[in-house]
Amino acid sequence: MVHVQHLFKHYRNAEHPSVDDLSFTFDEGKIVGLLGPNGAGKTTTISILCGLIREYSGDVNVLGLNLKSNTEELKYKIGVVPQQIALYPELSCQENLMYYGKLYKLSGKVLAEKIDSLLRQFGLHEHANKQIRNFSGGMKRRANIIASLLNDPTLLILDEPTAGVDVQSRSMILSFLRSYNEQGHSIIYTSHLLDEAEALCHEVLIIDKGKKIIQGTPKAIIEGNDTPNLEALFLKLTGNKVRD
Amino acid sequence: MQRIIATYIKEWHLMRRDLGGLALLFLMPVILIIIMALVQDGPFKDYKDHTFEAIFVNQDGGKVAASIRQGLLESKQFQLIETYDQKAIDFATTQKLIQKGTYQFAILIPDGISAEVVNSANLIANEMGRQMGLPASLPHRESREGMSVQLMFDPVCKPAFRLAITNVVEKFITKIQSDIVLERIAKLSQSAVADTGTFDIEKQLRSVGVKEISSQEKKMMVSKMNSVQHTVPAWAIFGMFFMIIIISDSIIGERLGGSWTRLKLIPGSFSDILIGKMLFYVLLGIIQFYLMLLVGIYVMPWVGLPSLQLGHSPLLLLIMVTCLSFCATTFGILIGSIFKTTNQALPVAAISVVILSAVGGVWVPVEVLPDSLRAVSLISPMRWGLQGINNLLLRECSWHDIVKPCVILLSGTMLTMFLSWMIEKKRMDQ
Repeated sequence: MVHVQHLFKHYRNAEHPSVDDLSFTFDEGKIVGLLGPNGAGKTTTISILCGLIREYSGDVNVLGLNLKSNTEELKYKIGVVPQQIALYPELSCQENLMYYGKLYKLSGKVLAEKIDSLLRQFGLHEHANKQIRNFSGGMKRRANIIASLLNDPTLLILDEPTAGVDVQSRSMILSFLRSYNEQGHSIIYTSHLLDEAEALCHEVLIIDKGKKIIQGTPKAIIEGNDTPNLEALFLKLTGNKVRD
Repeated sequence: MQRIIATYIKEWHLMRRDLGGLALLFLMPVILIIIMALVQDGPFKDYKDHTFEAIFVNQDGGKVAASIRQGLLESKQFQLIETYDQKAIDFATTQKLIQKGTYQFAILIPDGISAEVVNSANLIANEMGRQMGLPASLPHRESREGMSVQLMFDPVCKPAFRLAITNVVEKFITKIQSDIVLERIAKLSQSAVADTGTFDIEKQLRSVGVKEISSQEKKMMVSKMNSVQHTVPAWAIFGMFFMIIIISDSIIGERLGGSWTRLKLIPGSFSDILIGKMLFYVLLGIIQFYLMLLVGIYVMPWVGLPSLQLGHSPLLLLIMVTCLSFCATTFGILIGSIFKTTNQALPVAAISVVILSAVGGVWVPVEVLPDSLRAVSLISPMRWGLQGINNLLLRECSWHDIVKPCVILLSGTMLTMFLSWMIEKKRMDQ
């Protein structure tokens, strides 16, 4: 599904490269956790995978498409949930979704039914006409995910989708991700919540300072490193030093 | 097209909920236009429309002083103040009142001015009679040096005001002097020739005057020389450029809020989104401009000002305003692209609007600016917009007179869009 070879990205004026000779492969139909401390290069890697950052070196293939030459085609097949709530706060949830849906060239009954179905699935149906600015943190996160599902993506990429949400919303989001994956969709997600990643992901990739540290199923890498859980393994591999 | 329309509708939903933005775009320019038209009404009015309070100190008491006084009163331009605290005003009181700013200026007629004017008239008449071979001679003596009607101004008075008042008073004195000269010549000729018939010497001497005529076939120029005609279009253009603040705020807000990122992740040309956004603001700018014109037509008479007269080319005006609105919109997009935060962009946007208007002829005509600023004004879209609109509303020009301003504004539009695209591309590639 995703094949990355010798990926390198150094931002102008940055002291160190954000991604430094990173190579990995993710198989289709899995939920993969991209984990790492702050500044590890997770968001940069995701931004490259979804075609947002175009200047990099290395070879990246996503869903069988070479990223450098097929960015537009790829955008039809992926959905990206940014870390920020990428919605217009002054617009209602319905207006936001209608707008993004129309940008995907969806319209009429098809779009209306899709929005209605997703709003019901995420428990936002009754709040469809409420402005996003009046949503709670959890509601905003759910609406943010819905906006990335309008094109029915084969690959869903989520950057910290459960950051700052309550237990109920988090549970709903994780349930949705499992069920979405069961329908045959692939998912890449980043998180700092390692117990969540351990429970959700079929496979994890831990990176630090732009480099690959370890990759494998949670169970295999925890047992292989003789640690009780993913968090302990994470600290063992990336150290206890607080990151900026 | 669907993406462009969707973006257009989205912008409409955002704008209708942004009360602050709507006030900035519509309410503020309306208030500004009314106030500026009222403020600038004074300098635009002919001085004959004003009545000035002037201290009048008559130390002469003769015929000429009385004629000056009578002439000033009859002109209805001057309300003469001759007493203060129920006492006749003397030179010292005049100095005190002017210095304090109680009155702006004083006209002082020194003692002996009447005698001097009459003596000068007799001298002229005698000399003319002598050259014509007339025997009669009117009484006269040697002229005295330094006799003059004196004007005293409040130090705060502007040079233009002093000059205007001096000219008006001088005009009266010249008229009185020439009246006396004419009267003396007539008297001399009557004493020499018994019958002058019906020939009116005075009328003949005044047969050539000065009269303002129109440069236009429709002869509408003089009726359009008022503050409304000049200030409403100028300040409407200024108001249109307020959009820069709204647009740059919108773009930076979208970028910081993450919507910009999502938009870039959606397949399809990003230019569709930019075009939808741009078209919305272009139409908004046009609506705003025409609203300001409606204020000029219907609201100005309520505040005692003349109504705005539109030219004879509504279509050309629409073309001109559209070009201007495109330029204002893309300038806003450029500011929004350059700066990373609204804290950086908004002061720059606001100050740049003021600078562009100052050098663009909104505050004062470009013609009175120093050479260096006149050169700078060439890059101000407001200059070209104002030139084009003045060509249509004041000069009643035709389509070929707005081609140059339109081409320059559209070139500016393309340049700013190109720069914005470059900046966004660079930002994305980083």
